[in-house]
Amino acid sequence: MRLLRLELRNFRNYRHLDHDLGGHLNLFLGANGQGKTNLLESIALLALSASPRARRETELLGPLAAEARVLGRVESEGRIREIRIDLREEAGRGRKRIEVDGVNRRAVDLPGLARAVLFWPEDLNLVKAGPEHRRRFLNQMLVQVEPGHARLISRYARVLEQRNHLLKQIAAGETGIETLAAWDEELVAVGSQIASSRRAAVAELAPLAGRHHQAIAAGEELAIGYLGPPDDFAGGVQKSRSLDVRRGVTGVGPHRDDLLLELGGRDARAYASQGQQRTLVVSLKLAEADLVAARTGEPPILLLDDVLSELDAERRGALLERVASAGQVVVTSAEAAPLPLELMHEARVNCIRAGALEPCG
Amino acid sequence: MPELPQALEDLVQELSRLPGVGPKTAQRLAFHILRADRQRADALARAIGDLKARIGYCERCFNIAEGPLCAICESGRRSTEQICVVESPMDVIAIERTAEYQGLYHVLHGVLSPVDLVGPEEIHVPELVRRVTEGGVEEVIVATDADIEGETTAVYIYRALTPTGVKITRPAHGLPVGGDLEYADELTLARALSGRRAF
Repeated sequence: MRLLRLELRNFRNYRHLDHDLGGHLNLFLGANGQGKTNLLESIALLALSASPRARRETELLGPLAAEARVLGRVESEGRIREIRIDLREEAGRGRKRIEVDGVNRRAVDLPGLARAVLFWPEDLNLVKAGPEHRRRFLNQMLVQVEPGHARLISRYARVLEQRNHLLKQIAAGETGIETLAAWDEELVAVGSQIASSRRAAVAELAPLAGRHHQAIAAGEELAIGYLGPPDDFAGGVQKSRSLDVRRGVTGVGPHRDDLLLELGGRDARAYASQGQQRTLVVSLKLAEADLVAARTGEPPILLLDDVLSELDAERRGALLERVASAGQVVVTSAEAAPLPLELMHEARVNCIRAGALEPCG
Repeated sequence: MPELPQALEDLVQELSRLPGVGPKTAQRLAFHILRADRQRADALARAIGDLKARIGYCERCFNIAEGPLCAICESGRRSTEQICVVESPMDVIAIERTAEYQGLYHVLHGVLSPVDLVGPEEIHVPELVRRVTEGGVEEVIVATDADIEGETTAVYIYRALTPTGVKITRPAHGLPVGGDLEYADELTLARALSGRRAF
């Protein structure tokens, strides 16, 4: 899996960028605020069809721009595809038009064509942040390796929205309880498909992450588990009904999932030190890349946003080993030479200033 | 923008309420009508007036009708043993075009959607249950869409009709004829596979 070319028009602070990437190591250097993260965000957008960080899609439009474009030419198993995402603002809301090789595609059908694993400083909080961050980690991985998963997530979000509306209407006495069972049935039908995908993925991820963690942290045991809906999901939803009505929200389902992370038998979410957390996150990210490679037969594009400087020598070493060995990597850094000399020689180095690429030095 | 004369402004307003018509299109259409012959404009106004005066909904199945009953309910040649439940009168037209189906219909005019404050009463489910309870119906085909609301509505109707003992079916979801397997979306393909049948 390789990104051959990236074109940006009015994307955040990039007015006009046309760039051919190297097949292996690409390094983008620049001071803070010059557009390093924006560049990786545009690649993540091609992979996921949604920005992993923008709260509203209109944020992606450059200053005073009404339209933006991200175009990527990606190569996978010898086949080259062109993914084009046009963004524009309409009545205050962001609108997207996605084309693959000139054919219109729905956003839910894009993920999987350009597969990427993004690792950025925000991920360093993955262990102690709220469970929604760990669910997002699972979602971003699964939409890229399981066709139809993005559609499943969007269907589930819709059932949940409908059911929660109904719960509030029941609580307010505006409607009866007689349609609730039908929504419950749909919630369980869609939700259990998500749960079984997640359960299988976590079972696959656990030994991979465990191995990486042991290698970095001198034998420390990492255990990962999937905390999903109860085995009797339908029964759980039914039992939760009266509480759900009182609270106006759905209490059981994969929207409440979490990842169990244990170091030496202790809950990492509660006990891990800063250093342990970072090792754990590096291990998870490497395991994610392993899983994507195993499921699809190709290493994903690895996007490393300024994380190397955040890591100490050992963790950095583990990450760099991967950087040196597998597939295409895009690294950004504020440091002049974030990589060991032998890797610096292999890298295609570019400097970013104010949303433009220029020769370094 | 300079203010438009009131009559023109009124028409633009009304046209922009139509689905798929934005303010720009509404203005273009309004000016088009203004430029057109008097006769054409009158014909359009008359057609809209007639539509509301002459066409209502069937008392039995809620399909569009010119009298108390729609043409399908009134026809003596349809089988009264089957009722096909659809979301809209346009679905009736689509199924009629196939000439495959000889039974009656029940038009919901919507689907269950708490977000839009639509419950079973708004979509004529009690009337459907009554039709089945009155007898003579062997099979109810629930042909709502395969989206979340359509599926949930189908589940609800299934549950509401189960006590009557009537046979309840759902059309098979499958691959479009002439469609390429490679290009079918995963959900369609998964459904087509799980609903497969022996040769």
